[in-house]
Amino acid sequence: MSMIEVQNLTRRFGALTAVDDLSFSVGQGDIVGFLGPNGAGKSTTMRMLTGSLGATSGSVTIAGHDIATDARAVQRIVGYLPETPPLYTDMTVRSYLRFCAKIKKAKSPNQAADNVIDRVDLGAVAGRLIGHLSKGFRQRVGVAQALVHEPRLLILDEPTSGLDPNQRVEIRALIADLAKGDVTVVLSTHILPEVEAVCGRVIILHQGKIVAQDTLAGLSGADQAVRVVVARPSDDVGSALSALPGVLQVKALDDGAYRVEANDDVREAVAACVVGFGLLEMGRDQAGLEDVFIKLTRSDRGA
Amino acid sequence: MAVLTIAAREFRATFNSTIGWLVLAAFLFLNGVFFLMWLTYFAEASAQFSGGAYGDVQLLLSEQLFAPFYGNVATILLFICPALSMRMFAEERSQRTLELLLTSPISTAEIVLGKFLGALGFVTVLLAGLLYGPLLLWWWSTPDIGALVTGNLALFLVAASTIAIGALFSSFTDNQITALVVTVSVCLALYIIGAVGDQDSIWGQISILSHIDDLFLGGIRLSDVSYFVGLIGVFLFATHQKVESYRWS
Repeated sequence: MSMIEVQNLTRRFGALTAVDDLSFSVGQGDIVGFLGPNGAGKSTTMRMLTGSLGATSGSVTIAGHDIATDARAVQRIVGYLPETPPLYTDMTVRSYLRFCAKIKKAKSPNQAADNVIDRVDLGAVAGRLIGHLSKGFRQRVGVAQALVHEPRLLILDEPTSGLDPNQRVEIRALIADLAKGDVTVVLSTHILPEVEAVCGRVIILHQGKIVAQDTLAGLSGADQAVRVVVARPSDDVGSALSALPGVLQVKALDDGAYRVEANDDVREAVAACVVGFGLLEMGRDQAGLEDVFIKLTRSDRGA
Repeated sequence: MAVLTIAAREFRATFNSTIGWLVLAAFLFLNGVFFLMWLTYFAEASAQFSGGAYGDVQLLLSEQLFAPFYGNVATILLFICPALSMRMFAEERSQRTLELLLTSPISTAEIVLGKFLGALGFVTVLLAGLLYGPLLLWWWSTPDIGALVTGNLALFLVAASTIAIGALFSSFTDNQITALVVTVSVCLALYIIGAVGDQDSIWGQISILSHIDDLFLGGIRLSDVSYFVGLIGVFLFATHQKVESYRWS
Protein backbone atom coordinates (compact mmCIF):
# COMPACT_ATOMS: atom_id res chain seq x y z
CA MET A 1 0.00 0.00 0.00
CA SER A 2 1.35 3.40 -0.81
CA MET A 3 1.65 5.93 1.98
CA ILE A 4 1.68 9.04 -0.17
CA GLU A 5 -0.11 9.42 -3.46
CA VAL A 6 0.38 12.78 -5.18
CA GLN A 7 -1.35 13.55 -8.45
CA ASN A 8 -0.86 16.58 -10.68
CA LEU A 9 -0.07 18.74 -7.68
CA THR A 10 0.34 22.41 -8.58
CA ARG A 11 0.85 25.45 -6.41
CA ARG A 12 1.03 29.02 -7.67
CA PHE A 13 1.95 32.12 -5.70
CA GLY A 14 0.61 34.87 -7.91
CA ALA A 15 2.48 34.64 -11.20
CA LEU A 16 5.09 32.28 -9.78
CA THR A 17 4.49 28.56 -10.16
CA ALA A 18 6.35 27.05 -7.22
CA VAL A 19 5.19 23.50 -7.79
CA ASP A 20 4.23 22.47 -11.28
CA ASP A 21 2.13 19.37 -11.99
CA LEU A 22 3.89 16.98 -9.62
CA SER A 23 2.93 13.31 -9.52
CA PHE A 24 4.65 10.68 -7.41
CA SER A 25 3.96 8.03 -4.83
CA VAL A 26 5.82 6.82 -1.77
CA GLY A 27 5.40 3.34 -0.39
CA GLN A 28 4.99 2.44 3.26
CA GLY A 29 8.34 2.23 5.04
CA ASP A 30 10.27 3.99 2.28
CA ILE A 31 12.83 6.69 2.90
CA VAL A 32 12.60 9.20 0.10
CA GLY A 33 14.84 12.20 -0.39
CA PHE A 34 13.70 15.42 -2.03
CA LEU A 35 16.69 16.91 -3.71
CA GLY A 36 16.93 20.20 -5.52
CA PRO A 37 18.51 23.62 -5.49
CA ASN A 38 17.03 26.37 -3.32
CA GLY A 39 13.67 27.47 -4.66
CA ALA A 40 13.02 24.19 -6.45
CA GLY A 41 9.70 23.73 -4.62
CA LYS A 42 10.80 21.21 -1.98
CA SER A 43 9.42 23.10 1.01
CA THR A 44 6.24 24.09 -0.80
CA THR A 45 5.58 20.45 -1.69
CA MET A 46 6.21 19.36 1.89
CA ARG A 47 3.87 22.02 3.26
CA MET A 48 1.17 20.74 0.95
CA LEU A 49 1.73 17.20 2.20
CA THR A 50 1.11 18.34 5.78
CA GLY A 51 -1.94 20.48 5.26
CA SER A 52 -0.33 23.77 6.22
CA LEU A 53 -0.67 24.97 2.64
CA GLY A 54 -3.47 24.28 0.20
CA ALA A 55 -2.87 23.19 -3.37
CA THR A 56 -3.85 25.30 -6.36
CA SER A 57 -4.83 22.10 -8.12
CA GLY A 58 -4.16 18.40 -7.94
CA SER A 59 -4.56 15.99 -5.07
CA VAL A 60 -2.63 14.61 -2.12
CA THR A 61 -3.73 11.35 -0.54
CA ILE A 62 -1.97 10.11 2.57
CA ALA A 63 -2.71 6.63 3.92
CA GLY A 64 -5.97 6.75 1.99
CA HIS A 65 -7.11 10.14 3.35
CA ASP A 66 -7.52 13.04 0.93
CA ILE A 67 -5.83 16.02 2.55
CA ALA A 68 -8.26 18.52 1.05
CA THR A 69 -11.29 16.92 2.68
CA ASP A 70 -9.85 15.01 5.62
CA ALA A 71 -6.85 17.04 6.81
CA ARG A 72 -7.34 16.21 10.51
CA ALA A 73 -7.07 12.45 9.85
CA VAL A 74 -3.89 13.04 7.86
CA GLN A 75 -2.37 15.28 10.51
CA ARG A 76 -2.86 12.65 13.20
CA ILE A 77 -0.47 10.30 11.41
CA VAL A 78 2.00 12.85 10.02
CA GLY A 79 4.94 14.32 11.92
CA TYR A 80 6.42 17.43 10.36
CA LEU A 81 9.60 19.35 10.93
CA PRO A 82 9.49 22.63 8.98
CA GLU A 83 12.62 24.35 7.72
CA THR A 84 12.58 26.58 10.81
CA PRO A 85 11.68 24.41 13.83
CA PRO A 86 8.45 25.78 15.32
CA LEU A 87 9.67 26.30 18.89
CA TYR A 88 8.17 28.42 21.65
CA THR A 89 11.35 29.84 23.12
CA ASP A 90 9.70 30.81 26.42
CA MET A 91 8.85 27.19 27.27
CA THR A 92 10.99 24.44 28.71
CA VAL A 93 11.71 21.45 26.48
CA ARG A 94 9.47 19.19 28.52
CA SER A 95 6.48 21.52 28.74
CA TYR A 96 6.78 22.30 25.04
CA LEU A 97 6.77 18.62 24.09
CA ARG A 98 3.83 17.99 26.39
CA PHE A 99 1.97 20.80 24.67
CA CYS A 100 2.81 19.31 21.26
CA ALA A 101 1.70 15.85 22.38
CA LYS A 102 -1.65 17.26 23.49
CA ILE A 103 -2.47 19.22 20.36
CA LYS A 104 -1.31 16.34 18.18
CA LYS A 105 -3.69 14.07 20.07
CA ALA A 106 -1.13 11.59 21.41
CA LYS A 107 -2.77 8.89 23.53
CA SER A 108 -1.19 9.73 26.88
CA PRO A 109 0.47 13.10 26.20
CA ASN A 110 2.79 13.40 29.20
CA GLN A 111 4.06 9.86 28.76
CA ALA A 112 4.53 10.45 25.02
CA ALA A 113 6.60 13.57 25.78
CA ASP A 114 8.81 11.68 28.23
CA ASN A 115 9.29 8.86 25.73
CA VAL A 116 10.38 11.16 22.95
CA ILE A 117 12.78 12.98 25.30
CA ASP A 118 14.52 9.63 25.86
CA ARG A 119 14.42 8.68 22.23
CA VAL A 120 15.98 11.90 20.93
CA ASP A 121 18.28 12.06 23.94
CA LEU A 122 17.08 15.38 25.35
CA GLY A 123 17.05 14.27 28.99
CA ALA A 124 19.93 16.56 29.92
CA VAL A 125 18.11 19.69 28.74
CA ALA A 126 14.48 18.68 29.41
CA GLY A 127 14.06 21.31 32.12
CA ARG A 128 15.76 24.15 30.28
CA LEU A 129 14.14 26.97 28.33
CA ILE A 130 14.23 26.34 24.59
CA GLY A 131 15.43 29.91 24.06
CA HIS A 132 18.62 29.08 25.97
CA LEU A 133 19.51 26.00 23.90
CA SER A 134 22.17 25.73 21.19
CA LYS A 135 21.16 25.34 17.58
CA GLY A 136 21.86 21.60 17.60
CA PHE A 137 19.60 21.00 20.59
CA ARG A 138 16.88 23.18 19.12
CA GLN A 139 16.94 21.13 15.94
CA ARG A 140 16.62 18.00 18.06
CA VAL A 141 13.67 19.45 19.92
CA GLY A 142 12.20 20.13 16.47
CA VAL A 143 12.68 16.50 15.52
CA ALA A 144 11.21 15.41 18.87
CA GLN A 145 8.17 17.57 18.22
CA ALA A 146 7.63 15.78 14.90
CA LEU A 147 7.92 12.37 16.57
CA VAL A 148 5.96 12.92 19.75
CA HIS A 149 2.65 11.44 18.58
CA GLU A 150 4.34 8.42 16.95
CA PRO A 151 3.48 9.31 13.37
CA ARG A 152 3.47 6.76 10.58
CA LEU A 153 4.78 9.33 8.14
CA LEU A 154 7.57 11.74 8.93
CA ILE A 155 8.17 14.80 6.79
CA LEU A 156 11.46 16.51 7.53
CA ASP A 157 12.43 19.72 5.78
CA GLU A 158 16.23 19.93 5.90
CA PRO A 159 16.54 18.07 9.19
CA THR A 160 20.32 18.50 9.43
CA SER A 161 20.74 22.10 8.29
CA GLY A 162 22.96 24.10 10.60
CA LEU A 163 24.20 21.06 12.50
CA ASP A 164 27.80 20.05 12.97
CA PRO A 165 29.00 16.75 11.45
CA ASN A 166 28.55 14.76 14.66
CA GLN A 167 25.01 15.97 15.10
CA ARG A 168 24.27 15.18 11.47
CA VAL A 169 25.37 11.62 11.95
CA GLU A 170 23.12 11.34 15.01
CA ILE A 171 20.07 12.63 13.17
CA ARG A 172 20.74 10.30 10.24
CA ALA A 173 21.07 7.34 12.59
CA LEU A 174 17.77 8.33 14.17
CA ILE A 175 16.07 8.48 10.77
CA ALA A 176 17.48 5.11 9.76
CA ASP A 177 16.29 3.72 13.08
CA LEU A 178 12.77 5.03 12.51
CA ALA A 179 12.59 3.49 9.08
CA LYS A 180 13.29 0.09 10.60
CA GLY A 181 10.13 0.54 12.64
CA ASP A 182 8.11 0.88 9.45
CA VAL A 183 7.84 4.66 9.57
CA THR A 184 7.78 6.26 6.14
CA VAL A 185 10.18 9.20 5.87
CA VAL A 186 10.28 12.01 3.33
CA LEU A 187 13.15 14.40 3.81
CA SER A 188 14.55 17.27 1.84
CA THR A 189 18.14 18.29 1.69
CA HIS A 190 20.75 19.71 -0.58
CA ILE A 191 23.53 17.75 1.06
CA LEU A 192 24.17 14.92 -1.40
CA PRO A 193 26.09 12.54 0.90
CA GLU A 194 23.12 12.70 3.25
CA VAL A 195 20.82 11.35 0.57
CA GLU A 196 23.29 8.61 -0.17
CA ALA A 197 23.53 7.76 3.51
CA VAL A 198 19.84 7.42 4.32
CA CYS A 199 17.53 7.50 1.32
CA GLY A 200 16.41 4.50 -0.68
CA ARG A 201 14.91 6.63 -3.38
CA VAL A 202 15.46 10.18 -4.61
CA ILE A 203 13.14 12.69 -6.21
CA ILE A 204 15.02 15.53 -7.85
CA LEU A 205 13.06 18.74 -8.20
CA HIS A 206 13.94 21.69 -10.35
CA GLN A 207 11.81 24.78 -10.91
CA GLY A 208 8.80 23.03 -9.44
CA LYS A 209 9.01 19.97 -11.64
CA ILE A 210 10.28 16.45 -11.07
CA VAL A 211 13.35 16.05 -13.28
CA ALA A 212 14.27 12.60 -12.04
CA GLN A 213 13.00 10.02 -9.59
CA ASP A 214 14.75 6.75 -9.09
CA THR A 215 16.79 4.68 -6.69
CA LEU A 216 20.28 6.02 -6.03
CA ALA A 217 21.90 3.35 -8.15
CA GLY A 218 19.45 4.00 -10.93
CA LEU A 219 20.25 7.69 -10.90
CA SER A 220 23.98 7.13 -10.99
CA GLY A 221 23.50 5.47 -14.36
CA ALA A 222 24.54 2.00 -13.23
CA ASP A 223 23.97 -0.29 -10.30
CA GLN A 224 27.61 -0.27 -9.42
CA ALA A 225 30.36 2.18 -10.20
CA VAL A 226 34.01 1.83 -9.24
CA ARG A 227 36.69 4.46 -9.32
CA VAL A 228 40.30 3.38 -9.77
CA VAL A 229 43.47 5.42 -9.96
CA VAL A 230 46.55 3.88 -11.63
CA ALA A 231 50.17 5.05 -11.76
CA ARG A 232 50.58 4.52 -15.51
CA PRO A 233 47.39 5.44 -17.35
CA SER A 234 47.14 4.52 -20.99
CA ASP A 235 44.57 3.44 -23.58
CA ASP A 236 45.37 -0.15 -22.67
CA VAL A 237 43.90 0.37 -19.21
CA GLY A 238 40.63 1.52 -20.70
CA SER A 239 40.35 -1.34 -23.11
CA ALA A 240 41.35 -3.92 -20.51
CA LEU A 241 38.67 -2.64 -18.13
CA SER A 242 36.03 -2.53 -20.87
CA ALA A 243 36.70 -6.18 -21.66
CA LEU A 244 35.84 -7.31 -18.13
CA PRO A 245 32.55 -9.24 -17.83
CA GLY A 246 29.67 -7.14 -16.51
CA VAL A 247 31.28 -3.79 -17.25
CA LEU A 248 29.00 -1.39 -19.10
CA GLN A 249 31.16 1.64 -19.62
CA VAL A 250 34.58 2.97 -18.72
CA LYS A 251 35.37 6.67 -18.52
CA ALA A 252 38.89 8.02 -18.32
CA LEU A 253 39.07 10.89 -15.86
CA ASP A 254 42.00 13.19 -14.97
CA ASP A 255 45.23 12.10 -13.27
CA GLY A 256 45.05 8.43 -14.10
CA ALA A 257 41.57 7.93 -12.67
CA TYR A 258 38.94 5.75 -14.32
CA ARG A 259 35.25 5.34 -13.63
CA VAL A 260 33.96 1.85 -14.27
CA GLU A 261 30.19 1.38 -14.49
CA ALA A 262 28.88 -2.14 -14.17
CA ASN A 263 25.81 -4.23 -13.45
CA ASP A 264 27.15 -5.85 -10.35
CA ASP A 265 30.08 -5.72 -7.98
CA VAL A 266 33.18 -5.90 -10.20
CA ARG A 267 35.71 -4.59 -7.71
CA GLU A 268 37.64 -7.83 -7.48
CA ALA A 269 37.93 -8.19 -11.25
CA VAL A 270 38.89 -4.55 -11.65
CA ALA A 271 41.61 -4.84 -9.03
CA ALA A 272 43.08 -7.91 -10.68
CA CYS A 273 42.94 -6.22 -14.08
CA VAL A 274 44.69 -2.94 -13.24
CA VAL A 275 47.27 -4.22 -10.78
CA GLY A 276 49.84 -4.37 -13.57
CA PHE A 277 49.37 -0.67 -14.32
CA GLY A 278 50.29 0.35 -10.78
CA LEU A 279 47.07 0.43 -8.74
CA LEU A 280 47.09 3.45 -6.40
CA GLU A 281 43.50 3.84 -5.22
CA MET A 282 40.22 2.13 -5.63
CA GLY A 283 36.71 2.51 -4.26
CA ARG A 284 33.03 2.83 -5.04
CA ASP A 285 32.37 5.97 -7.05
CA GLN A 286 30.45 8.58 -5.04
CA ALA A 287 30.59 11.28 -7.67
CA GLY A 288 27.69 9.85 -9.65
CA LEU A 289 24.81 11.52 -7.87
CA GLU A 290 26.54 14.86 -7.83
CA ASP A 291 27.05 14.73 -11.59
CA VAL A 292 23.43 13.81 -12.15
CA PHE A 293 22.26 16.52 -9.80
CA ILE A 294 24.32 19.24 -11.47
CA LYS A 295 23.35 18.14 -14.94
CA LEU A 296 19.65 18.10 -14.13
CA THR A 297 19.41 21.29 -12.13
CA ARG A 298 21.71 23.74 -13.85
CA SER A 299 19.71 26.95 -14.08
CA ASP A 300 20.60 27.44 -17.76
CA ARG A 301 19.11 24.07 -18.56
CA GLY A 302 16.74 24.37 -21.49
CA ALA A 303 17.10 28.15 -21.59
CA MET B 1 -9.85 19.87 24.83
CA ALA B 2 -7.40 21.36 22.34
CA VAL B 3 -9.03 24.75 23.03
CA LEU B 4 -8.08 24.50 26.70
CA THR B 5 -4.55 23.29 25.89
CA ILE B 6 -3.97 26.29 23.65
CA ALA B 7 -5.64 28.66 26.11
CA ALA B 8 -3.42 27.39 28.94
CA ARG B 9 -0.28 27.84 26.85
CA GLU B 10 -1.35 31.34 25.83
CA PHE B 11 -2.10 32.26 29.44
CA ARG B 12 1.30 31.03 30.64
CA ALA B 13 3.10 32.66 27.74
CA THR B 14 1.67 36.01 28.82
CA PHE B 15 3.04 35.48 32.31
CA ASN B 16 6.39 34.48 30.78
CA SER B 17 6.58 37.73 28.83
CA THR B 18 7.86 41.10 29.97
CA ILE B 19 4.85 42.79 28.45
CA GLY B 20 2.51 40.65 30.57
CA TRP B 21 4.06 41.82 33.83
CA LEU B 22 4.33 45.41 32.60
CA VAL B 23 0.65 45.39 31.76
CA LEU B 24 -0.22 43.87 35.12
CA ALA B 25 1.84 46.43 37.02
CA ALA B 26 0.63 49.43 35.00
CA PHE B 27 -2.97 48.33 35.22
CA LEU B 28 -3.00 47.81 38.98
CA PHE B 29 -1.01 50.96 39.70
CA LEU B 30 -3.04 53.32 37.50
CA ASN B 31 -6.34 51.96 38.66
CA GLY B 32 -5.22 52.00 42.27
CA VAL B 33 -4.50 55.70 41.88
CA PHE B 34 -7.87 56.28 40.19
CA PHE B 35 -9.71 54.40 42.92
CA LEU B 36 -8.03 56.45 45.62
CA MET B 37 -8.88 59.63 43.73
CA TRP B 38 -12.57 58.81 43.39
CA LEU B 39 -12.73 57.58 46.98
CA THR B 40 -11.30 60.87 48.27
CA TYR B 41 -13.70 62.80 46.08
CA PHE B 42 -16.60 60.69 47.34
CA ALA B 43 -15.65 61.21 50.97
CA GLU B 44 -15.39 64.97 50.53
CA ALA B 45 -18.64 65.18 48.62
CA SER B 46 -20.43 63.09 51.26
CA ALA B 47 -19.21 65.40 53.98
CA GLN B 48 -20.44 68.46 52.08
CA PHE B 49 -23.85 67.02 51.33
CA SER B 50 -24.66 65.69 54.75
CA GLY B 51 -26.31 68.24 56.94
CA GLY B 52 -25.84 71.01 54.38
CA ALA B 53 -28.31 73.42 52.85
CA TYR B 54 -30.06 70.57 51.03
CA GLY B 55 -30.60 68.53 54.16
CA ASP B 56 -29.17 65.05 54.55
CA VAL B 57 -28.42 63.77 51.05
CA GLN B 58 -27.12 60.22 50.81
CA LEU B 59 -24.67 59.77 47.96
CA LEU B 60 -24.75 56.33 46.40
CA LEU B 61 -21.47 54.46 46.17
CA SER B 62 -22.62 52.84 42.96
CA GLU B 63 -23.33 56.18 41.25
CA GLN B 64 -20.67 58.44 42.67
CA LEU B 65 -17.79 56.02 43.09
CA PHE B 66 -18.15 52.76 41.14
CA ALA B 67 -19.52 54.23 37.91
CA PRO B 68 -16.84 56.91 37.38
CA PHE B 69 -14.09 54.59 38.61
CA TYR B 70 -15.12 51.80 36.26
CA GLY B 71 -15.34 54.39 33.49
CA ASN B 72 -11.64 55.07 34.04
CA VAL B 73 -10.83 51.37 34.17
CA ALA B 74 -12.64 50.83 30.88
CA THR B 75 -10.55 53.57 29.25
CA ILE B 76 -7.35 52.00 30.53
CA LEU B 77 -8.49 48.60 29.25
CA LEU B 78 -8.71 50.10 25.78
CA PHE B 79 -4.98 50.70 25.85
CA ILE B 80 -3.90 47.67 27.83
CA CYS B 81 -5.84 44.86 26.14
CA PRO B 82 -4.30 45.60 22.72
CA ALA B 83 -0.89 45.21 24.36
CA LEU B 84 -1.96 41.71 25.39
CA SER B 85 -3.58 40.75 22.11
CA MET B 86 -0.83 42.11 19.86
CA ARG B 87 1.40 39.04 20.23
CA MET B 88 -1.41 36.54 19.70
CA PHE B 89 -0.76 35.79 16.03
CA ALA B 90 1.96 38.30 15.11
CA GLU B 91 4.48 36.53 17.33
CA GLU B 92 3.54 33.09 16.01
CA ARG B 93 3.98 34.43 12.49
CA SER B 94 7.36 36.03 13.11
CA GLN B 95 8.66 33.04 15.14
CA ARG B 96 7.23 30.59 12.58
CA THR B 97 5.48 28.61 15.28
CA LEU B 98 2.10 28.93 13.62
CA GLU B 99 3.10 26.07 11.34
CA LEU B 100 3.00 23.76 14.38
CA LEU B 101 -0.62 24.68 15.07
CA LEU B 102 -1.63 24.57 11.41
CA THR B 103 -0.19 21.07 10.93
CA SER B 104 -1.68 19.62 14.11
CA PRO B 105 -4.99 17.75 13.97
CA ILE B 106 -6.93 20.68 15.38
CA SER B 107 -9.30 23.09 13.67
CA THR B 108 -8.65 26.77 13.02
CA ALA B 109 -11.63 27.55 15.24
CA GLU B 110 -9.94 25.75 18.14
CA ILE B 111 -6.76 27.76 17.58
CA VAL B 112 -8.55 31.13 17.51
CA LEU B 113 -10.86 30.33 20.41
CA GLY B 114 -8.03 28.91 22.51
CA LYS B 115 -5.89 31.98 22.04
CA PHE B 116 -8.83 34.28 22.75
CA LEU B 117 -9.69 32.46 25.97
CA GLY B 118 -6.05 32.45 27.08
CA ALA B 119 -5.82 36.24 26.77
CA LEU B 120 -9.21 36.61 28.41
CA GLY B 121 -7.96 34.52 31.32
CA PHE B 122 -5.16 36.99 31.86
CA VAL B 123 -7.58 39.92 31.78
CA THR B 124 -9.73 38.13 34.35
CA VAL B 125 -6.70 38.08 36.64
CA LEU B 126 -6.26 41.82 36.07
CA LEU B 127 -9.90 42.56 36.88
CA ALA B 128 -9.85 40.28 39.92
CA GLY B 129 -6.83 42.26 41.09
CA LEU B 130 -9.00 45.38 41.20
CA LEU B 131 -11.73 43.91 43.37
CA TYR B 132 -9.94 44.61 46.63
CA GLY B 133 -10.89 48.32 46.46
CA PRO B 134 -14.66 47.98 46.25
CA LEU B 135 -14.65 44.98 48.61
CA LEU B 136 -12.81 46.96 51.28
CA LEU B 137 -15.73 49.38 51.34
CA TRP B 138 -17.86 46.74 53.02
CA TRP B 139 -15.93 47.54 56.16
CA TRP B 140 -17.72 50.88 56.42
CA SER B 141 -20.76 50.62 54.25
CA THR B 142 -22.99 48.32 52.20
CA PRO B 143 -22.41 49.07 48.54
CA ASP B 144 -24.91 47.89 45.94
CA ILE B 145 -23.66 44.41 45.08
CA GLY B 146 -25.67 44.41 41.86
CA ALA B 147 -23.83 47.44 40.51
CA LEU B 148 -20.54 45.84 41.45
CA VAL B 149 -21.42 42.70 39.49
CA THR B 150 -22.74 44.47 36.40
CA GLY B 151 -19.87 46.95 36.49
CA ASN B 152 -17.36 44.12 36.40
CA LEU B 153 -19.39 42.39 33.73
CA ALA B 154 -19.16 45.58 31.64
CA LEU B 155 -15.39 45.72 32.12
CA PHE B 156 -15.09 42.07 31.20
CA LEU B 157 -17.13 42.60 28.04
CA VAL B 158 -15.09 45.67 27.05
CA ALA B 159 -11.89 43.70 27.58
CA ALA B 160 -13.18 40.69 25.62
CA SER B 161 -14.27 42.91 22.71
CA THR B 162 -10.94 44.71 22.64
CA ILE B 163 -9.06 41.41 22.64
CA ALA B 164 -11.24 40.06 19.83
CA ILE B 165 -10.50 43.21 17.80
CA GLY B 166 -6.82 42.88 18.67
CA ALA B 167 -6.79 39.23 17.61
CA LEU B 168 -7.91 40.20 14.13
CA PHE B 169 -5.25 42.86 13.62
CA SER B 170 -2.60 40.62 15.15
CA SER B 171 -3.45 38.01 12.53
CA PHE B 172 -2.72 40.48 9.74
CA THR B 173 0.91 41.22 10.54
CA ASP B 174 4.25 39.82 11.73
CA ASN B 175 4.85 43.04 13.61
CA GLN B 176 3.40 43.33 17.10
CA ILE B 177 3.73 47.12 17.22
CA THR B 178 1.68 47.47 14.05
CA ALA B 179 -1.00 45.27 15.60
CA LEU B 180 -0.93 47.35 18.79
CA VAL B 181 -1.24 50.74 17.07
CA VAL B 182 -4.01 49.69 14.72
CA THR B 183 -5.99 47.97 17.50
CA VAL B 184 -5.74 50.95 19.86
CA SER B 185 -6.83 53.28 17.05
CA VAL B 186 -9.82 51.18 16.10
CA CYS B 187 -10.90 50.65 19.72
CA LEU B 188 -10.53 54.32 20.51
CA ALA B 189 -12.59 55.21 17.45
CA LEU B 190 -15.23 52.69 18.49
CA TYR B 191 -15.23 54.20 21.97
CA ILE B 192 -15.67 57.85 21.07
CA ILE B 193 -17.67 57.57 17.87
CA GLY B 194 -20.83 57.99 19.92
CA ALA B 195 -19.96 61.67 20.28
CA VAL B 196 -20.87 62.18 16.61
CA GLY B 197 -24.58 61.78 17.28
CA ASP B 198 -26.84 61.17 20.26
CA GLN B 199 -27.23 57.79 21.89
CA ASP B 200 -30.08 56.60 19.68
CA SER B 201 -28.35 57.51 16.43
CA ILE B 202 -26.43 54.95 14.44
CA TRP B 203 -23.17 56.35 15.84
CA GLY B 204 -24.43 55.96 19.37
CA GLN B 205 -25.50 52.40 18.67
CA ILE B 206 -22.12 51.25 17.45
CA SER B 207 -20.17 53.04 20.18
CA ILE B 208 -18.84 51.02 23.10
CA LEU B 209 -19.38 53.96 25.45
CA SER B 210 -23.16 54.08 25.10
CA HIS B 211 -23.45 50.39 25.97
CA ILE B 212 -21.56 50.47 29.26
CA ASP B 213 -23.15 53.38 31.14
CA ASP B 214 -26.21 51.47 32.28
CA LEU B 215 -24.17 48.45 33.25
CA PHE B 216 -22.00 50.64 35.47
CA LEU B 217 -25.11 51.82 37.28
CA GLY B 218 -26.42 48.30 37.85
CA GLY B 219 -28.84 48.09 34.93
CA ILE B 220 -28.43 45.06 32.73
CA ARG B 221 -30.07 45.08 29.32
CA LEU B 222 -30.15 42.38 26.71
CA SER B 223 -29.37 44.91 23.97
CA ASP B 224 -26.15 46.00 25.68
CA VAL B 225 -24.92 42.48 26.35
CA SER B 226 -25.82 41.29 22.87
CA TYR B 227 -23.95 44.29 21.41
CA PHE B 228 -20.73 43.04 23.01
CA VAL B 229 -21.38 39.40 22.23
CA GLY B 230 -22.03 40.39 18.62
CA LEU B 231 -18.87 42.50 18.48
CA ILE B 232 -16.77 39.64 19.86
CA GLY B 233 -18.42 37.16 17.50
CA VAL B 234 -17.84 39.29 14.39
CA PHE B 235 -14.17 39.90 15.13
CA LEU B 236 -13.42 36.31 16.15
CA PHE B 237 -15.09 35.08 12.98
CA ALA B 238 -13.03 37.51 10.89
CA THR B 239 -9.89 36.32 12.70
CA HIS B 240 -10.85 32.73 11.96
CA GLN B 241 -11.21 33.55 8.26
CA LYS B 242 -7.85 35.30 8.22
CA VAL B 243 -6.02 32.44 9.96
CA GLU B 244 -7.71 29.93 7.67
CA SER B 245 -6.46 31.98 4.71
CA TYR B 246 -2.84 31.34 5.78
CA ARG B 247 -3.31 27.90 4.31
CA TRP B 248 -4.02 29.50 0.94
CA SER B 249 -1.43 32.25 0.73
